[in-house]
Amino acid sequence: MSGARALYKRLERFVYTRGRTVGRSGMALVLAYLWIPILVLVIMSFAPDIFSFPPTDPTLEWYVTFFNNDEAIGSIMTSLKVALPVTVVSVFLGLLVAFAVDRYDFVGKQQLQILTTLPLIVPLIVVGVALVLFFGAINVRTGYWTVFVAHVIRTIPFATLVIIPTVVSFDETLEEAAMDLGSTEAQTFRRVTFPNILPGITASSLLVFTISFNEFVFTFFVKGPGTTTLPTYIWSRVRFGLTPEVNVMSTVFIVIAGTLILLAAYLTQANKITGL
Amino acid sequence: MSTGRISNSEVLFGQLNRLVGYVRGNPRRKVALVLGAPVLVLLTLFVLPLLSMLWLSLHTETGVSGEFTLENYRQLVASTTYLEILRTTLVLTAETTLIVTVIGYVLAYGIVRLSTRTNLLLLLVILPFWTNYIIRMYAWINILQPDGALSSVLLSLGLLGEPTGFLYNRAAVLVGFVYVWLPLAVLPFYASLNNLDDDLVEAAMDLGSGPIKTFLTVTLPLTKGGIIAGIALVAIPTFGSFITPVLLGGTNVTMIGVVIERQFNEAFNWPLGSALGMVVTAFVILTLVLSTKLGADLLGTGGEA
Repeated sequence: MSGARALYKRLERFVYTRGRTVGRSGMALVLAYLWIPILVLVIMSFAPDIFSFPPTDPTLEWYVTFFNNDEAIGSIMTSLKVALPVTVVSVFLGLLVAFAVDRYDFVGKQQLQILTTLPLIVPLIVVGVALVLFFGAINVRTGYWTVFVAHVIRTIPFATLVIIPTVVSFDETLEEAAMDLGSTEAQTFRRVTFPNILPGITASSLLVFTISFNEFVFTFFVKGPGTTTLPTYIWSRVRFGLTPEVNVMSTVFIVIAGTLILLAAYLTQANKITGL
Repeated sequence: MSTGRISNSEVLFGQLNRLVGYVRGNPRRKVALVLGAPVLVLLTLFVLPLLSMLWLSLHTETGVSGEFTLENYRQLVASTTYLEILRTTLVLTAETTLIVTVIGYVLAYGIVRLSTRTNLLLLLVILPFWTNYIIRMYAWINILQPDGALSSVLLSLGLLGEPTGFLYNRAAVLVGFVYVWLPLAVLPFYASLNNLDDDLVEAAMDLGSGPIKTFLTVTLPLTKGGIIAGIALVAIPTFGSFITPVLLGGTNVTMIGVVIERQFNEAFNWPLGSALGMVVTAFVILTLVLSTKLGADLLGTGGEA
């Protein structure tokens, strides 16, 4: 008994004197775990082959190969053709939900919020499979539009969750003031409401775009032969043989996605994109 | 406008105005107009597909034209293969969740209590999370493959005799899972630690509690909501995952998600695949109900996915 007490005392003293150092080292280790794989990936994109770490003579040859690879560039184009319209549609739908939640009282408000966040919670594979089944049952051929629809479902929760705070925090008396001073409703929206919620719309657009551009599971299930997006293209490359070109693709991908996220973070402050 | 002539656009405008007036006359119609599109999209393209999956899972291999039956579920429970896969899935999910919770809490605690550069550190956590899932898996293939980065480094340190691979086993899958879901848990942990009133910690210390006792009796219980939310957020996607076991586990690690994918893309037994999907859904619902009962702070301050 007294032995255990003494041990506890010594532990307490250790935490007092060394706790901060140990905690900081632990934090550094975890951050290293998060970043080292990404660093290795970027470094390996300059390697002549996949088996030389660290690469002895760095080269840009695989970047050249990548930019001359029509299939890869085509998949990026497909991704853009999906992600851009999906962004417009999802953000618009999210905005509608945000306005309804903020401005009106109605039966089922809570259920609505559950419904809009549900696609976030049900595992991707379940929804992906359910969508294929559903499209099959109503005789819709998989292709561009099925991918489009799947991406909208996938991104609505993010669009909504990011826009709601901006819409809620917007001071509605500004609208009243504009109207009192003679603005029509349309003018009020264009000159007062819209500029005020624009940061939320921008952040939500960037996020929705990034998620759609990254989307894999839904796309994997509902894509047709002609709708290979960048993530599904990378998947097929990873599964059937590795080349440094995949490292190049990944690096390009990370740089693009990272830039967009940093932009979104800059526009809303980091805590908004994390939903905190 | 100048003369009395009425242009087409004015007629259209008039009609539009009448429509607006009609909608505005009743707040219910207003809500219906605003919410119609999003609710319709979610109901027909999200809820309906899930229901049709449930429906299909209750039919034989011939599809919904066949008989109504519980055969698929019976098959899952009766077969040792499926039970074994379910066990592997559950164990891997539990291990992943445990590791993520411990190291995620360390990281979140460090960000809140031991550092002043909160925003920078949060970004360092979030950025990998926004990196494509496949790419994050591929990054680990780079490291773990035979002759890969880990093998090279260990060789040059003299810790390995010859080039070795570390892929296609349970440990690789576990490393991959922890890697992808760590940021997801750190966020609610961070939120709950950040919302914790520092004065309470100081009060406990002033009243004579040592750092360990303070942590166990004040910090830990008061961040329980965030911890349970983080656990749920990690356990749910891990249980249904198929990318990580396929890419890092190969044929050596079979999880339920892998079997579902195979039923749809190779075996073409869709009703059985649907039944497996329902098992995953049941797990999710169970986890959510349990975590809410235990006081998880899922949508309040934390929880983004």
